[in-house]
Formats: sequence, structure tokens, C-alpha cells
Amino acid sequence: MKRVLVISILAVLGAYLAEALFQLDFGRQFFQNGVKDFYLIASPDKLKVANVITAIVVNFRGFDTLGEVTVLFLATTAMGSILYKGRHKLGERAVLFSASKIVTTGSKLLFPAIILLGAYVFIHGHLTPGGGFQGGVIIATGFLLMLLAYSDYSVSHVVLSVIESLAGITFATIGLLGMLHGGTFLQNFMATGVLNNLLSGGIIPIIYITIGFKVGAELTGLIYTALNEKD
Amino acid sequence: MNHILEIIGLVLLLIGGTFLFLGGLGILRMPDTYNRLQTGTKATTLGGMSVILGVGFLEPDWLIKTLVLVIFIALSNPISSHALARANYKRKNYPYLKGGKEYDKYREVYQKEEEEETA
Repeated sequence: MKRVLVISILAVLGAYLAEALFQLDFGRQFFQNGVKDFYLIASPDKLKVANVITAIVVNFRGFDTLGEVTVLFLATTAMGSILYKGRHKLGERAVLFSASKIVTTGSKLLFPAIILLGAYVFIHGHLTPGGGFQGGVIIATGFLLMLLAYSDYSVSHVVLSVIESLAGITFATIGLLGMLHGGTFLQNFMATGVLNNLLSGGIIPIIYITIGFKVGAELTGLIYTALNEKD
Repeated sequence: MNHILEIIGLVLLLIGGTFLFLGGLGILRMPDTYNRLQTGTKATTLGGMSVILGVGFLEPDWLIKTLVLVIFIALSNPISSHALARANYKRKNYPYLKGGKEYDKYREVYQKEEEEETA
């Protein structure tokens, strides 16, 4: 009975979505003169950003990205509140014992390399594929490795939330500064530099670095909460 | 000089491709977890390292970056296979041995470790 209900609801929703999608004009001529031309020309020429996707995500749709970061923050908060069943003491973890000596030594060696890779990915977000979100996730995997390898490895929730809040405040402040200079939120107000240089693209690298810090801190906190879950 | 580098790179690519193929075949054909881990990590370690190094020889500008990647694979792949095998052993999935338990040399070491952990 329940299954029939679920299937019928999904069918109704699917029919609505299909109807809406069929009304869209897909086709070559629709995309010939569109907003994509503006993006493809404006991001290397005006913003001096080699990675067009970054230019769209952080500059043209920067306000959207602020919303995305907020959604991520809310999701981790909700997840933490679901998983948090009473105060836990040290030792009450899903990982009860440290891994073998090979794994602990190896993770100690690999941890700085993983953090470096994450930082590289979000610092070069405006030049190469990847960016703040991806770099932050890579950093969180580094912390996951350490948390799985050592039973007594702990991350300070206070430090994490301070990093997270500072990153969020920096993002919003840069947006407001753009408002002061150019009139719109997240308007580029810094010198754009030369295309393909590390120091180019105006405010885009700064915003991606703050996103990297924010995502890394949030996901690390989420993993830490999940590992401390009580049965 | 460029010609020699290109030939070295292509040979390395061929070696790497062969070993990656054998690793994939082994995962399909091998009977139990330990044998599959062996093909799934040993063969792909060599295969991946050769392919990446071959690309480095074909594009000499990337050689240093590819060397870093090779070191990363050399560190991470064996460690992860070790962790998987040990976790499997801890779940009491012992390897099948024709001669019986006395051929399982790891069991003594493992039991000693267990006693130390509980003590």
C-alpha cells in the first residue's frame, strides 16, 4: 500500500516536471545568442579569470554561492543536532582503537600532503578546475584519515566554529565592500591583474579561499560529530 | 633526445596499461578477498605509477609533478590495502589455506597484538 502511494506520488511529480521541461526550447538556435556568450567573453577579458566556471560561480552568481554556503552550514548544523545524543566523553567513539602502526605512520606522512593539495586546489580555483568547495572537501578527508587512524585524535569544535564564522564574515564583508565601491553586492573592486597569473581575478581568489576554509571546517566538524555518535 | 624520452614514455604507458588490465582481470577472477586485494592494489600500484611516469616522460614539463604523484601513490596505495586486509582479518575472515591453520603465520602475531591491546 505504502509502495503504491510512493510510486503514484512520484509519478504525479514526474509528470509535472516533464510537462515543464517539454515547454523549454532546447536546441542549437536557442543557445547561439544567449548569456553564455557574455560569460565566455567577459570572464577572460574583463575579470581576467581563466576558469569560466569559477567566474560564474563566484562573481556573476556570487550571491547564489553565499546562499549555498549558508545551506551547507545549516545542513551541518542540523546533522550535528541529529547525531548529538547527550554529552560524550573522551573514548566514546565509533573508532575505539588506533589502527596498526603502518597506518598511523603513513597517515602522519600523508596528512600534510593532503592538506597541501586541498590548499593548492582552492588557491588555484580561478586558474585550474576545482575551487573552494573541492579544496575544502579534500582538507576534510585529511582530517578524516587522522580521525580514523588515531583513536585519541581530537579536533577543537571551538577553533572550527571560529574559522567557519571568520570565513563567512569575510565573504559577506567583501560583498558589502563591493556594494560600497560599485553599487552591487560582490562587485569586483580590486585590480584584476594579468590573465593566468596567480594574483589575478580581483576578489575571486580571496572569496574562494574563504569558501575553502569554511567548507573544510564545516565538513571536518561534521565528520568529527558523526564519529562521536553514541549508540 | 626528445625521441628517446618519447619512446621511454610510450613503453611505460604500455607497461602501465598492461598491469592495470591484469589488475582489473584479477579482481574478477580471484577467489577470495586477500587475493583480490593483491591484484587490486599491487597491480594497480605498479600500473598507475608507470602510466603517470610515462605521461611525465611524454611531457617533460610535468615530470616533477608526476614524480610527486608517484610518491603519493607509493605511500597511499599499499597502506590502504594493508588497512583493508587487516580489517578483514579482524572480522575473522581468515584466508583459505590448503594445509590448514598452521600455515597462517600471521595468526600468532595477531593474537599477541590482541593480548597487548586488551592488557
